[in-house]
Amino acid sequence: MAVTELAAPPARPTPGRKKSPATSLIVLALRKVGTLLITLFFASLVVFFSRFVLPGDPARFLLRGRSPKPEALVEITKQFGLDKPPIEQYLTWVGGILHGDWGRSLTYRQSVSDVLLNRLPVTLELAALAAVFITVLGLAAGILASLNKGGWDRFILITVTAAGAIPPFVAAIALTALFAVQLGWFPSFGSGDEGLGRLWHLTLPALALGLTFIAFMARVTRSSMNEQLTREHVEVATSRGLKRSSVVFRHVLRNALGPILTVSGVLIAGLLVSSAIVEQTFGLTGIGQLLVQSIDRLDFAVVQAIVMIVVTAFVLANTIVDLIQPLIDPRIAAGTESR
Amino acid sequence: MSKLLEIEQFSLHFPGRGALLSDVSLHVDDGEAVALVGESGSGKSLTTRAALGLFPEFSRLSGSVKVRGLDTTSAPAAKLLELRRNHASMIFQDPRAGINPVRTVGDFLTETLVRWRGLSREEAYARAVTQLDQVGLRRTKDLMRQYPHQLSGGMLQRVMIAGALLDSPELLLCDEPTTALDVTTQAGIVELLREQQQARGMGMLFITHDLNLAASLCDRVYVLRKGEVVEHGGAREVFMSPHADYTRQLVGATPRIEIDKVPAAPAADGTVPLLAVKRLCKRYELPSGEELTALNDATFSLAPGGSLGVVGESGSGKSTLARMIVALETADEGELAINGRVRAPRPLRAAERKLLAKDVQIVFQDPYLSLDPRIVVGKAVADVFRLHQGQGRAEAVKSAEKLLERVGIGPERFDSKPRALSGGQRQRVAIAKALAARPKLLVLDEATSALDVSVQAQVLELVEELREQLGLTLLFVTHDLAVVSRLCAELLVLQHGEIVEQGSTAKILSAPANAYTRMLIDSRPRALWEEQLA
Repeated sequence: MAVTELAAPPARPTPGRKKSPATSLIVLALRKVGTLLITLFFASLVVFFSRFVLPGDPARFLLRGRSPKPEALVEITKQFGLDKPPIEQYLTWVGGILHGDWGRSLTYRQSVSDVLLNRLPVTLELAALAAVFITVLGLAAGILASLNKGGWDRFILITVTAAGAIPPFVAAIALTALFAVQLGWFPSFGSGDEGLGRLWHLTLPALALGLTFIAFMARVTRSSMNEQLTREHVEVATSRGLKRSSVVFRHVLRNALGPILTVSGVLIAGLLVSSAIVEQTFGLTGIGQLLVQSIDRLDFAVVQAIVMIVVTAFVLANTIVDLIQPLIDPRIAAGTESR
Repeated sequence: MSKLLEIEQFSLHFPGRGALLSDVSLHVDDGEAVALVGESGSGKSLTTRAALGLFPEFSRLSGSVKVRGLDTTSAPAAKLLELRRNHASMIFQDPRAGINPVRTVGDFLTETLVRWRGLSREEAYARAVTQLDQVGLRRTKDLMRQYPHQLSGGMLQRVMIAGALLDSPELLLCDEPTTALDVTTQAGIVELLREQQQARGMGMLFITHDLNLAASLCDRVYVLRKGEVVEHGGAREVFMSPHADYTRQLVGATPRIEIDKVPAAPAADGTVPLLAVKRLCKRYELPSGEELTALNDATFSLAPGGSLGVVGESGSGKSTLARMIVALETADEGELAINGRVRAPRPLRAAERKLLAKDVQIVFQDPYLSLDPRIVVGKAVADVFRLHQGQGRAEAVKSAEKLLERVGIGPERFDSKPRALSGGQRQRVAIAKALAARPKLLVLDEATSALDVSVQAQVLELVEELREQLGLTLLFVTHDLAVVSRLCAELLVLQHGEIVEQGSTAKILSAPANAYTRMLIDSRPRALWEEQLA
């Protein structure tokens, strides 16, 4: 053969590999964080100025039931800084947030931070517990369905679809009726004390909250795994004598994580939003319930704060997901696609 | 001692459908290299996978597939694991698909060692590095940390081979291990496989659709067609004096460089060249910010009625050139003139594009991707007539039907969607679509490399015919010198974006002046017996 010089084939004709993977990862991370900040800035604009589009004068609301003396109206307006031009109000608001001051609640007559700090833990615990249910049950159902073609797959798919079609408030009522009223295993109301009592109180709400998302997660896991199962590298792994479990964990599940993670990022924000309904049903004093009340009472400072928190959680979760993706699939960091 | 691999009367089918394999019998002895030749759909991959007990889900089997006496059709899972771990290994067609893209090369190599050979991570690492050295890779310690996407196809295939050899198999199964690679890379891999097979005394079953390749590596050949062995015997006998009609057809269709059959260039009569390219350059910016020169300083011209072959390996810039000619890419520098009209150096406007399309049409490599899956073929071609010839609906349909029949698509196919057609039929439709615009220049971008040899031969014949009848000018982009030698009077060899040699095809092929061209020619597989003669 006349091709001995080919013993080591030449590198790919892409001389663009001089940057080390680590630098490109850092560049990627910085870019993501930059996008995050810009997104938050625009979100804050929308959140703040949408108040001016909505009908109703908050100062007038405060004086509901009393004769609105013009002096009192002016007094209130001044006290809450409502007389200043919108831009100035916005700057004061954003400046305050950066210092941890979210303004004053109109109804509670205390700082928004205090109101929120009382309520936030319940919601976060609820969302966290729901997230655990979603991850454990959703992943398990998806994996099981994917690995057991035929009867099991169909059964899980149908169950999960049916469960996912139930709106949270119906699920909440059904779960309460069965487990709280009939069986008496779980309490039906209130958020309980700290610790285990809280967990016990939150189990039903978290299940009601997570049901739709469990279905969603199971479906994404199933289809993502199914896609990986047909890949040739899975067959190669099998042909090398790896056990089925090794093949599934190392080559199927690991590769299927990307889409699952992307969906999770979106789910987290969805949890915070949906929590309003579930909190209302189970009488939990979380921020979801607070949001509903505050909108009702035109307590715009609280509404703005909550919306901002939800938006931040959403953007943050997705940024984190984006940052984890290149660790799961190194091709993303390199900016090349699979080929 | 029982035979290494012995397949007897092996049949495979899915319930309710025809047999995919029927009564296949073959055997491989220790230290012997055997080729299994067949076109796509012949069942060669199924046969090879059966040797490892990899059967498609829900398939029904009969007969036996024995490796060292173990029948994989009935063996329990534990025995199959043992077989895959200690006796037989497989090298797959596409290393980029076959090696998990999210794990490092090191992980791929060491996982079997650590998982069940009981080696420590350090021992496994050392073994893997040694193995990588042995398959001819350099900087092996760095390689261990790299991910598959950072390696070229040829390097990855060596990694895959290293992975298979790590288990010191007695039987090496190769499923078209070089089909996804360039010719020169292929030559290196084939050399490596032969070396290792002989050094280790392994039995090898080598699947390929390329008779030349089979002859260059194997002593015995089985020819498989539609799940049946139609011929077997010594490679030389099968090649030189085939018995079965199918084998004869296959041998006839296998492209060969035949210098006396190279078509002649049209007589130079001083007319304006149809295509004139002057100092054409194209650069791409890579994601990392660096610049890649895809094509540098290309100058050539093509007279009306001429035929030019553009050859080179992947990444040589040949497809970029084709795409620039049909204005899918815009040149960064240089001049491109068609029929004497110099093209503006910017992306074309819709009207200009339509005008250009009347002169120049392209046929792409993969007819599975280049036809709209939802449009029936008759309409697809008729649409071109309506657009470019301004024909009415009824007239366009008539013209389309005439043209489709001309390229060998019968009336019963006019209402089929591309999905219902075979690869060769789809490529015929793609050619008809291009011809409907009545172009002067037809650009074929690897237009036959996704097709089986016998289908390729038919499509080449069609192109040849059309050229003679319609006076088409051809620009054929390919990696296959044999295809060029048959179709193109002139040749242009590209390497890393530079033209390294150009001129008459016959002259270049018989006396290549450039080292790279020589290497391309030498890389074509040569039959074992020819080599022994030389």
